[in-house]
Amino acid sequence: MTGSASGNFRGISPAEFFYRNRQMAGFENPTQSLYTTVRELVENSLDSCEEARVLPTVDVTIQSELGRTCTVSVSDNGTGVPDENVPNAFGKVLYGNKYSSRQRRGTFGLGVTMAVLYGQISTGTPAVIHTKTAQNEGNEYSVYIDIESNSPIVKSSNPLKRKERGTTVHITLNGDLKRSRERVIEYLRLTGISTPHARITLSLDDTERYTFGGFTKKIPSLPVDSLPHPHAADLELIRRLAAKNPDLRLHEFLVGSFQQLGHKTAEKFLNFIRMDPRATIGSLDREALSYLGNSLRKYDKFGKPSATCLSPVGKESFFNAIRKEFNATVIGYSQRGPLEWDGFPYIVEGVLAISDAFEQSDIPHLFRFANRVPLLYDSTDDVFAKTLKRIPWARYKPPEISGVAIFTHFCSIRVPYSAAGKQSITSVSSITSEILSLYRELGRKLKVFSEGKKRALHSRRKLKEFSRLFNLLAKFSSEVAGVDNIPDTSRMINELFEVDSDV
Amino acid sequence: MSDMSDPIKSLTELGKKILSSIEDGHFPRIEIPARSTENIVFDEQTEQFILGDSRTTRDSSNSKHIRSFMQLMWIASFSKRLLESGRTSSLRDLYYSSEAFGVRFKDQAESDRLLSDLEALIEYPRESLGFFPEEHSSIYGKVIMRYTVKGYEDKEVDLTISPDGLPIGPALLSASPVRTDAKLILAVESGGMFSRLIETRCWERFDCILVHLGGQAPRSTRRLMRRLHDELHLPVKIFTDGDPWGMHIARVIIAGSANAAHIRDLAIPTAEWIGVNADDIVRYNLPCEDMNNRDLKRLDELSKDSRYLSDDWQSAIESFRRLRKKAEQQAFSRFGIDFVVDEYLPTKIQ
Ligand SMILES: Nc1ncnc2c1ncn2[C@@H]1O[C@H](COP(=O)(O)OP(=O)(O)O)[C@@H](O)[C@H]1O
Ligand SMILES: [Mg+2]
Repeated sequence: MTGSASGNFRGISPAEFFYRNRQMAGFENPTQSLYTTVRELVENSLDSCEEARVLPTVDVTIQSELGRTCTVSVSDNGTGVPDENVPNAFGKVLYGNKYSSRQRRGTFGLGVTMAVLYGQISTGTPAVIHTKTAQNEGNEYSVYIDIESNSPIVKSSNPLKRKERGTTVHITLNGDLKRSRERVIEYLRLTGISTPHARITLSLDDTERYTFGGFTKKIPSLPVDSLPHPHAADLELIRRLAAKNPDLRLHEFLVGSFQQLGHKTAEKFLNFIRMDPRATIGSLDREALSYLGNSLRKYDKFGKPSATCLSPVGKESFFNAIRKEFNATVIGYSQRGPLEWDGFPYIVEGVLAISDAFEQSDIPHLFRFANRVPLLYDSTDDVFAKTLKRIPWARYKPPEISGVAIFTHFCSIRVPYSAAGKQSITSVSSITSEILSLYRELGRKLKVFSEGKKRALHSRRKLKEFSRLFNLLAKFSSEVAGVDNIPDTSRMINELFEVDSDV
Repeated sequence: MSDMSDPIKSLTELGKKILSSIEDGHFPRIEIPARSTENIVFDEQTEQFILGDSRTTRDSSNSKHIRSFMQLMWIASFSKRLLESGRTSSLRDLYYSSEAFGVRFKDQAESDRLLSDLEALIEYPRESLGFFPEEHSSIYGKVIMRYTVKGYEDKEVDLTISPDGLPIGPALLSASPVRTDAKLILAVESGGMFSRLIETRCWERFDCILVHLGGQAPRSTRRLMRRLHDELHLPVKIFTDGDPWGMHIARVIIAGSANAAHIRDLAIPTAEWIGVNADDIVRYNLPCEDMNNRDLKRLDELSKDSRYLSDDWQSAIESFRRLRKKAEQQAFSRFGIDFVVDEYLPTKIQ
């Protein structure tokens, strides 16, 4: 028994793992898979355009054949993929260039490769990538994944001219366009809100065409990589950093490895935890490193994290996009942060808006975004959705105001998603309390607005009533005076109420 | 109608003034003699209420004033139409007519109040503006009056023409007294007493003109009494129930009311109250009732009223207070139907 049992033990590749657990990454059924494929391709395109510092033009086409087979093509004007990277980028799960410490849409190289994998297992077709960088004229690749070994199989690669720099990816998969159509449209529409400088087109079966975004020509500044915040210093991070420069003295090591840790702070901190600033980091044993990490995480005198690694949408762009997309009245914007959760810098921002296009309900309709990506599924598990229900909206929202929506954007170098499908954010208590404050602030703005509106309505009514009464006064005075024509009073009244005469 | 042409002129001028202000692009303002209690003073010399000097401003650019300003001008236009067509309107009619013009008063008290403003503004009483109160009181006696109203011009009427008395309405009010055999005006509070005095030919016996007040005398009734008093030189006696309310009915005829302080020629300072007072109740041993709280409170109020500051009035109040009883005019019936005429009035009138 024992012998045969030990014979069954073996490691599995990441590709194998996600092949078996593809629901974790958002490929549970044909409907969800089609949506997730579009989403991953578009996210990569936008990330790449950001890198290239261009106004993104992203064209999405979905072609469905014989009911269940769909081909998704997404093309962009981003950086293009360097030839040597193409096989791994598209044919190796968990391979990517976004492990950096700044806000990105993609996370750990699990996006497009899952789509490639799903396409391959559901239709047997390889992914086709046509890409051109600044350095070449363009090439086209067909790529499969060897699932067992998690390595790319390049079926073909040919030079193929491409006019502009950028990438087009085609994936053929088992998808249900009929059922995911709404979601895809909604996702792209909302992407146009959170990335308002991008112009996104969608073409479905050559019959339906949509355009989203393109609300501004301002490219947001590129978030820059930042050193980790000391509160993020777990043992693993400390060990990796220490391994890079084992000869550094402790003081220099801290100053050079972390943000919010200058010479003065380092001195105070090391003095406080009674560690020798001159000890070389390489000489510290596991226990000492662990003590150092714990102390870094607990010490409460480090500054708030810098926000340069983050890219919130910002008030003006957010307002602009929401106004145009939903024909909405934007009521207020509010932002919390930069703060950190477990040492990861984050900002939450929110906009409250009113429009007939929004659901009429007692509590505001919620549009969630994380790192500029709209979150459409799993809202019940989401911290923003859960927290929204804790706000006594009746206190802020008079019943006559309906069609209220809140747009929330969580941006961080690490988003605490509850699953690899990246559809909902888990409750982290420090984040939850910030969301509460954000909602309350927006609520107060709604209240101020509705009171102002009431006042304006009131004064409009007042003007109407005043002018009625004053005209009667003029009429009766004419009668009493025995004069036939009644003088015109509109100019006097408008001046009195300080309204423009042409209103 | 000749005496009505002046109010028409005043109204027209008011209208022109307001209109020209609007034509010049200025929001019209008017100043009305203030009718608030602070501006009502009891004039010791004439022994009646008059308005002081303070004035209230109605500014049509003020959204708090515009409605009542407009309503005032509507009443003015309504009045002008009445006068031009020789018609009259009751106060209640005035109130109900407003609706059709988009004017709308909160209640009749509001339209009554604004009519008073108009009276104060153009210095004509409402009767001259075509408005008469609803409550008609009546008159009976040996007077000949000559009508001036349309259709009755120069017709004469003998005020004994109807055994029920003649209602005091617009026509009678604008009529002028021609001659009389009477030597006295006797005003009585209740209708019952009025009828009794006509039936028992008291008017012959005392040579008096009988006036039925019906509670607080309407202004038109007071106006008519004042006119007969002035033009026929007849003294006025007032006979009321024996309680604070009756006493005050008399006092208002004598000294005027705060409500009508802006109207001159209403009070009759020489008029005399001939009871029933507290002493009468005792002297005649009249059937009476205990005073209730409202009565006693009213006595307190009156004792502080500037019209009651004289010793005589204070002691009249004091007697009621001590007695704590009240009696109606009709209470004399206990001694037989003619007792009032045979016993009470002769003593009081002589
Ligand atoms: N449209 C694109 N333009 C440029 N690079 C791309 C594009 N699509 C994918 N890539 C590269 O492929 C890598 C893997 O993509 P993916 O599997 O989606 O993982 P992630 O986006 O999480 O990094 C990315 O890190 C990126 O370097
Ligand atoms: Mg990706």
